[in-house]
This record gives sequence, structure tokens and C-alpha cells, in this order.
Amino acid sequence: MIEPSWIAGLGAFLFVIGLAGCFTRKNAIIVLMCVEIMLNAVNLNFVAGAAHYQDVHGWVYTAIAIAIAAAEVAVGLAIFLALYSQRQTISLDEVTLLRH
Amino acid sequence: MGQHNKSEWNLLLPVAMMITFPFICQAVGYDAISSTIFILAVPLLVFPIVLILGQVFKGTDMWKHDLKEGGIIVLAALAITLVLTLWLVYEFILGHGHFPGTGTIIPDWISFDLLNDDGVNHELIGAAGISFGVWIDAVSLTVLFVAAFLCFLICWFSIGYMTTDPINEDRNHRFFGEFLLFSLGMFGMLLADSFLWLFIFWEIMGLCSYLLIGFYWEKPSAAAAAKKAFLTTRVGDVFLMIGLFMLYDIYHSLDFAVILDSPALTATGEAVSGDALVWPLLLLFVGCVGKSAQFPLHVWLPDAMEGPTPVSALIHAATMVNAGLYLVARMFNIFAEPAFEGMLSDVAMLIAWIGGITACMAAFIAFVANDIKRVLAYSTMSQLAYIFTGLGAAMWFANNGYHHLATVAFGAALFHLFNHAMAKGMLFMASGSVIHEMHHAHDHVHEDGEDHGEFDPQDMRNMGGLASKLPITSTAMMLGSMSIIGIPLIGGFWSKEGIVGQAWNVYLHGGSMILFPAMLVLITAGMTGFYMSRMWLMTFAGKPKSKAASHVHEVTQWIKTPLVVLSLVTAFSGFLLALFGFQHFLGEENGHLELHDGFIYALVATLEHAFLPKEITLKIVGWTTIALSALLGPFIAMRLHGGGLAKGEEATPLVAWLVDLSGRAGHTDVTELAEGGFATALHNRLYIDDAYEWLIAKTIIPLGAACAWVDRVIIDGLGIKFLIENGTQSISTTVRSLTTGRASDYLLMAAIGMLAIVFILWGVA
Repeated sequence: MIEPSWIAGLGAFLFVIGLAGCFTRKNAIIVLMCVEIMLNAVNLNFVAGAAHYQDVHGWVYTAIAIAIAAAEVAVGLAIFLALYSQRQTISLDEVTLLRH
Repeated sequence: MGQHNKSEWNLLLPVAMMITFPFICQAVGYDAISSTIFILAVPLLVFPIVLILGQVFKGTDMWKHDLKEGGIIVLAALAITLVLTLWLVYEFILGHGHFPGTGTIIPDWISFDLLNDDGVNHELIGAAGISFGVWIDAVSLTVLFVAAFLCFLICWFSIGYMTTDPINEDRNHRFFGEFLLFSLGMFGMLLADSFLWLFIFWEIMGLCSYLLIGFYWEKPSAAAAAKKAFLTTRVGDVFLMIGLFMLYDIYHSLDFAVILDSPALTATGEAVSGDALVWPLLLLFVGCVGKSAQFPLHVWLPDAMEGPTPVSALIHAATMVNAGLYLVARMFNIFAEPAFEGMLSDVAMLIAWIGGITACMAAFIAFVANDIKRVLAYSTMSQLAYIFTGLGAAMWFANNGYHHLATVAFGAALFHLFNHAMAKGMLFMASGSVIHEMHHAHDHVHEDGEDHGEFDPQDMRNMGGLASKLPITSTAMMLGSMSIIGIPLIGGFWSKEGIVGQAWNVYLHGGSMILFPAMLVLITAGMTGFYMSRMWLMTFAGKPKSKAASHVHEVTQWIKTPLVVLSLVTAFSGFLLALFGFQHFLGEENGHLELHDGFIYALVATLEHAFLPKEITLKIVGWTTIALSALLGPFIAMRLHGGGLAKGEEATPLVAWLVDLSGRAGHTDVTELAEGGFATALHNRLYIDDAYEWLIAKTIIPLGAACAWVDRVIIDGLGIKFLIENGTQSISTTVRSLTTGRASDYLLMAAIGMLAIVFILWGVA
């Protein structure tokens, strides 16, 4: 049995990698992948917790989270397609409409 | 004149109002005193109606011809006030009504709490209210009658004067509305039962004076004159206000009932020291000086002649300028208080001095004025100054224990107020008639294409020989001038004689300081004889001095009627009222007008009093006054400006003798004198206006420039630029740079915020 704290540390590490990717990368698809990494970091915590406490709730949450992440990726990619058809780019540096 | 053929049914409105209103009042249970509320309420309600209706209906035929652009409505309102005033006078003289001095109509209009503030404790010592009531005694009633009577007649006159001039078209409702508001101010000031209300109505009059002087606002000179009048009187009003504060501080009240009934006691019954009253009374007097256009603050009155002539007649000759006199007259009880005996003599002397100086100075300037209205304006200043001298003498007597003499002098001064208001109101209306007809004649000539260029219908150098063309006007003006000059038996003679005599009487009773003003008013009597005669002769005698003057005709009935009425009043009222002991009536509280011991005895007594007083000095002074004013002054004027009419012109017999006399008086050429240094100084109004302008240029304008510099350099430069402008600029630049618009930056901020919250919660836990 692996110590839960190691798994929590791995989850935190993955989460920070995803977060840093979100902050720094310009390509929207890579940002979306980073979001997936963060989600999976959370899922990892859920699964580890469920195994540790012998509680089924963690697995249920993980299943829901994966389903929602799939839907979110579908919506996100659709948005990127629409963005690309308007702007011919999906670089986040050039999409600064919020500023105005 | 098509309007003459139309029946003047519109006159029915004022007449009907006049006849029915007192009966309506009586029917609903109002007696004469309670009806005084309508003297104020009617103008207050009607003036906005006239203004609004005028704005809505201007230009329509009904408004223009049937209602005379609102003039008829205003005339009706003034008719009501006149008839109520007459009712009041009637009841007062017969002693029917109970006149307690004051009758409060609206008690506790405003209530407020009084704090006892000794620097440490602030405790409530009771409530005080500002109530509005009326104060009616012989003085206020006399001036009220003068005001109501002249307001009515001058409104009548202005219907003829204002509505026939195309330049006034479609804005006469403004004139009439402001006219009515003015009369509200005047009536209110006279009826007020406390100094506070007096001051409020006083300011309403000041406002109307400003608005009406600037009636022709598109003329720069009129706009400047309005500003000058407003600001100059404001100087006086500031002092007046400070005086009122001091008075309140002394008496804890501004009610006449407190201050005038027992001047030695405060509202709470403590004793008042006479010395403490010197300054408040002086400050109040400064306010009066401003309002009545006396020496240091007189500069506004001649310029105020820029307003329409009815305004000059009403506000700047007959009523508003009397406000200052009325306020001084109101102080009489304070001077007469035995507890203050001898303490206020200096104030009385100052009043007399200001009067003497102004009388003489204004008469000098009137010598050279060529504008007919300006001659009258300076004459107004001079005559008001007479009244101030008389009041000063009365105050001195009252303050030194000579109560009978004080009554005589006080009565003479206020009698002169009455006579002067009547005569001067009429003189201004007559001058208005002259100007009006000159203007029309000039337009007529101009149509023929003969006379071009600048033409001033008010310049007497363009007139001459009008006696045959304007019979009623010339007669009216002759009577008015005689009243002002003080030709024996006519109008102002009775009062002027009294004022000059009493001023000398003060000297005889030990008030040696009055010698200077007493001499000045004596000399001014002769000067008045000169400048009034000069004005009349330049206008009516001799040959026409311009084309327009030979084409003048007297036409408008609306203008003629008030002139006739006031001519009769001016000619006879002085004598009649003198017979009835008007002077004593004014001086004594709740007196009665009556013939003492039958008509013949009263006649003899009055004549004896005027012509053969007991003291030899008074006899000399009286006869010197008559000789100077009735003989010497007019004679010199005839030598300089007289002359017979052109051939074939006939004046009415009433004035023909005067024209003929002036033609026979011979002629003296005074060109040299008229071009001398003193005459130039007089033309420049003795440089007083220039001195004020210089003073303002040296003090207020640099002060203003300094303030502007501080504002521009220090406030804008340091304050705004460095602190506010730079500070906010740099902060906003920093904040703006955070707003990149990139989603990932916002995400970073959200993450940092989330972390911050977590750490805070962690710390709290």
C-alpha cells in the first residue's frame, strides 16, 4: 500500500503543472490539455481517497468528473473551431476582447 | 388712434373691482384692518398670473388690445389695493377701527428654538416664532396711501405709455408683472410689523428695481445701470443687515412692538443702554442712504433713468426711494425715548448732515444736466435730502427733550415726503409724456426723410416751445415744478418751509452742529428754484430747437388723465392738509385730522405759522427761503433760458403768463461760465462716479486678479496638477496595465486570489 500523502503530492504536482501550463501557453488546445491534467490531478485524489477510506463516493465523483471533462472538451473544441473560423487563429495572445 | 373710437369697456374691470371689493370683504366679515391682508395677497396672486398669461397669449389680439398686454389686470389689482388703503385711511382718520399699532394676521409663521449658548452649556430656553402682522400708524398709513395712489395712477399712465411703443411689443407683460411685484414689496414694507419683514420686502423692491431698470436689457447702458443700481444699494443693505443683527442682539427681537413701544427695554424686560444703540442705528441709516440715494451711495439713481419712464416715476421718484426715509422715520420712537436723552444726538446730526450735503450737491449737478429725466433724478435726490435733514432735526429735538418741536419737524419732513412723491411722480409722468410725443414726432419727421442721424428725445436742447403743443403736460409740469420749488401756497411750500425753519430752530436750541446743513438747505432752496425753472423753460418756452419739437401733438388719453388728477392733488392737497393740521397728525400717535376751531381760524393759524412765525430768526429764514426759491432762482433761469413762443403759437392761459414773463426777463449770456471748470466738474457729476471707478480699479480688480492668480497657479498648478492629476494618473495607469484582456492573465489573478483566500482561512482557523 502506497502512502496517501505520496498520491496527494503527485496530484498537487500534476495540478501545478496544469495550472502553469494554463498561465503560460498560448495555444488554446494546449491550454485545454492543461485543464485536463488539472482535472485528472483531482481525479487522482478522489480515487486515492476512495481506496484509502474504502468509500464508494470517491469513485462515483471520479466517473462524473471524467464524463463532464469529455463534454467540456467537446464544447471547448467547438468554441476553438468557431474562433478559428472568425479569426484564423487560436492563439490566446490575440484574443483580447475582454480588454475592451 | 383707432383705439379711441373703440369703447374702453376694459376699464370696467378695475372699476368694478374697486367698487365691489370692500363690500365683499365686509360681507364675509373682514373689517378694514383684517382686509389689509388682501393689499398683499392680491398682488402676490396676480403677478405670476400676468406673467404666465402674457407668455402664453402674447401677440394675440385680445391680449394686446382688450387687456393692454396685462395692464388692465394689473390696474384692477392695484385698484383693489388702493380702495382697501382708502378704506383703512377712512377708518383711521375717523377713529372707527381699533388700531392697536399691530394686529398679527398669521401667527408663528416660522417657529424655531432658542438656545442659551454661553460657550459651555447649550440649553433650550424656549421657542420663538417669526409671525407676520401689520403695523398701522399715521406714518405707515400716509406712506401707504402715497404708494397705493401713485402705483394706481402710474399703472394707468404706463398703459398709455408702454403699449403704444413698438419697441415694447410682446414683452409688456413682463413690465406689468414686475410692476405689480414691486408694489407688493412696497406695501409689504410699509405694513410690516417687524424689522425682519421690512427688510425682506425691502429686498423684493430692490430686485424689482433691478429688473425694471434693465427692462431694455439689450441696451448695454441699461444693463450696466441695472447692475450699478443693484450693487450700490446692496452695499447699503449689507450694513443694514449688520445693523439688524446688532439690534436683535440688543433687544432679542426685531418686532416693532418690542423695539418701538418700549425702546428702553428688551423683549425679556432688561434695560437697554442708549450708547449701545448708536452703532446699530448708524448702520440702519447707511442702508437708508443706499436706498434713498443719498450722498456717498447716490451714484445709482441718475443711471437708473435708463428704465422706462413709468418706472422712473414710480420706483425712482415716488415710492421706493421713500423706503429709506420710512425706515429712518420708524426709528423716531427710539430717539424720543426719555431714557436715551442726549445719547443719540450725534446720529441725528449725521442724518441732517448727509441730508444737507446731498441736497446741495444734487442741486448743483442738476444745474447742468440736459437730459430731462436726469434733472428730475437729481431733483429727487435733493428733495429726499431735504426730508432727511428734517428727520435729522426731528430726531435731534426728540433726543434732547423738545417733544413738541420734534413733532413739528417730524411732521414737516413726512409732509414733504407726501408732497414730493405726488409732485415728482407727476413730473416724471409729464416728462414721459414729453419724451413720448417727442419720440413720435421724431418718427413722423423721419418718415418724411428730413431729419436723420442721432436724436435723443430726452435731451432738452432738442425741445423748446412745447407749451403750445402740450397744454396739459405743460400745466402739470408747471404745477409740479412749483410744488418742488416751494412757490408759496402750492404743495411742497408748506413742508419745505417747515423743514428749513426747523433745521434752523435746532441751531437756536443749542444744536450748533446743524448750522452747516441748515445753511445748505437754505441755499438749495434757491438752487431748486433755478434748476426746476430752467428745466421747464428749456422744455416749454422759447422757440422749437429741433424739427421734431415743432411737430409734437398731445394725444393719448391714458397719459393725460393721471396728469390731470395729480395736478389737482399737487396744487391743492398741500394747502388743504396743512389746514387740517397734517403735520401734527403725522407726529402724534393715533391723531386725528381735523380743523382746529373752525375754518377761518385754521386758515389764519396756518398762514401765520408759515409766514409769520414768532421767533425773529425763523421769520428771517422763512422769508429768505421764499425770496431765494420763488424769486431769485426762477428769475435767473428766465434770464438764461426764457423766451417767448414762436409767432402764431398760443399756450393755454394757465401757462401763457409764465412764458410771456420769461420772454420779458431779458437775456444774459453765460457761455463762459457754462464752459468753465466748475461746470465741467458738474457735467462729470463732481467726479464721484469716477472716484468710485478708480477705487474699484485700484482695489477690487487687483484683488480679483490676485485671487485668479492663486486659483490658476496654486490651486490648479500645485494642487490639481501634482496631487490630484498626477496621483490619479499614475494610479490609473498602473491599474490599467493589469487589464490585458488575455484569459490566462485573468486565470492567474483568479488563482492568486484563491490562494490568498485559502491562506486567510488557514490563518483564521
